[in-house]
Amino acid sequence: MPTQQPSPQGDQMRRPIGHSRARALLHRGFIGAGGVLLIAAFGTDYIYYTTALWQWANFSAWLITFGLIVMFVAVLLLLIDFVTGRVGRPNISSFILVTAATLLSLVNAFVHTRDAWTSVVPQGIFLSAVSTILLVIAGARGWSLANSRAAGERP
Amino acid sequence: MRMTDLRLIAALSSFIGLAACSSKGGDPARQYGPDPYLPEPHQYLLPPMSVPKVIGWKVGEMPTVSADLKVEALATGLEHPRTLYTLPTGDILIVESNGPGTEPYRPKDFIAGKVKARAGASEKGGNRITLLRDSGGGKPELRTVFIDHLNSPYGIVLVGDTLYIANTDAILAFNYVPGVTRLTSPGVKLADLPAGPIDHHWTKSMTASADGSKLYVGVGSNSNITENGMAVEEGRAAIYEVDRLTGAKRIFASGTRNPTSVAFEPQTKQLFAVVNERDEIGPDLVPDYLSSIREGGFYGWPYSYWGSHVDVRVHPQRPDLVAQAIKPDYGLSSHAAPLGLLFSGGQHLSPVFANGAFISEHGSWDRSPLNGYQVIFVPFMNGRPVGKPIAVVTGFLGQDNETVHGRPVGLAFDRSGALLVADDVGNTVWRVSATQPGT
Repeated sequence: MPTQQPSPQGDQMRRPIGHSRARALLHRGFIGAGGVLLIAAFGTDYIYYTTALWQWANFSAWLITFGLIVMFVAVLLLLIDFVTGRVGRPNISSFILVTAATLLSLVNAFVHTRDAWTSVVPQGIFLSAVSTILLVIAGARGWSLANSRAAGERP
Repeated sequence: MRMTDLRLIAALSSFIGLAACSSKGGDPARQYGPDPYLPEPHQYLLPPMSVPKVIGWKVGEMPTVSADLKVEALATGLEHPRTLYTLPTGDILIVESNGPGTEPYRPKDFIAGKVKARAGASEKGGNRITLLRDSGGGKPELRTVFIDHLNSPYGIVLVGDTLYIANTDAILAFNYVPGVTRLTSPGVKLADLPAGPIDHHWTKSMTASADGSKLYVGVGSNSNITENGMAVEEGRAAIYEVDRLTGAKRIFASGTRNPTSVAFEPQTKQLFAVVNERDEIGPDLVPDYLSSIREGGFYGWPYSYWGSHVDVRVHPQRPDLVAQAIKPDYGLSSHAAPLGLLFSGGQHLSPVFANGAFISEHGSWDRSPLNGYQVIFVPFMNGRPVGKPIAVVTGFLGQDNETVHGRPVGLAFDRSGALLVADDVGNTVWRVSATQPGT
């Protein structure tokens, strides 16, 4: 690829059709970060289940809350990815996996507002276990909810 | 994949459906008396809340009483008045106080803090006691700061020439000379009381035995239902007996979640308490109560409520303790938050109120429709609460039953026998007296 001087206005115009460079997807890292927080909540739920030490349940509540906040940011970035044409083909199955896990975690955030044992057992840890399974699959698929536009693909 | 997803969405919507149909509370009248109606407990997705909007009292507005009584403001512009105490000289002490404030431990604590603040529970307390001298019957000629710089004070009792003040962390003893308008001598610590960390239920209600040898102190739990762990509940949710001379203390009764007022029934000299019960298992659970307090008695918290009704939120459970749990004497309906307990001990205000207890219901913040926000009278016979309560002072709620003018807290009689009611949202002390004195 020939080196080009960056030029805000002229970049698209000057780039030869069929040779445009794939741009990094913005949402991907955030889906991964949010997913990791939500998966970690299953870990702290499990420790609470085995120890009944209250601080682990509090960790879970915070992990789910921050996991959801990061997922919300990821959704915004996904929209930006779409709007700015970074996205090629949506990755439907990953999208469904992550969306389901996030919605379950949203419900789980409310379950975790309960006080003491029933904030985790049984519904809370069940929801975090299901979310974890979905997120691990999504993680194994690379966290992307959409493929980046391949080099040379038309907008 | 798609099918799984659909099933998940179906499960999800049923969860959300559960949250949406969070039930409304029934008629509180069913929950007064010895056998309150107890529905099945529920676990909610969204903690049930119904937060009133605080509008305060406009000039001329005041609580409502029956035609044979009248109500007037004895003092206004106070800083969160909680407890009232009348000295033998007739001077009235107003304890202005609020909780020391807690750090949020969970995301929920942020939200709950905001919600309670809206209900007027987060205003800064004065941490002081104001003295009123009222020889004219409702027109105080003197109002001074009696003592300042306390630490979330609540209970107060005079024994002989010693005035005991229960801060949230200790009982202080002050030398009291009748007629003084300000305590000048520094207090001496009689005994430590369970306080931080957290100090969730911070009030330390206090009374003295008839012979003055012992003090009784109500200490609330450090959580709703052990969500802050068992370690911080050590020595909490209990009523203490403190030796007045040595300061030695022991737990007199336990399992009382938040004993917000303790008092001796005048006929039988039996200790009674009003206790605020647990939240978040339903609008009609758990009824707060008035009960005689037996030495060594266990009243259920946290493991069970109203006797042996197990609370599944506590882990590990303790069936051995549940088996011992004493059923309280008299239900006061759920989330009404009784804070003041005052035995009439004679013919105050009206013959109707000769034998029984006035109880102030601070009012709910996590129940719809709102409950409490009144002062009631529970008749007694042979030293036991009997029959239906009588509403004595109402109108703390607006006409719409959603806005709040004030919330009643501490109760006391002034020297003339008028009923004084502290209002910690209206920042007022109300005086309720008979329209026809002597009837």
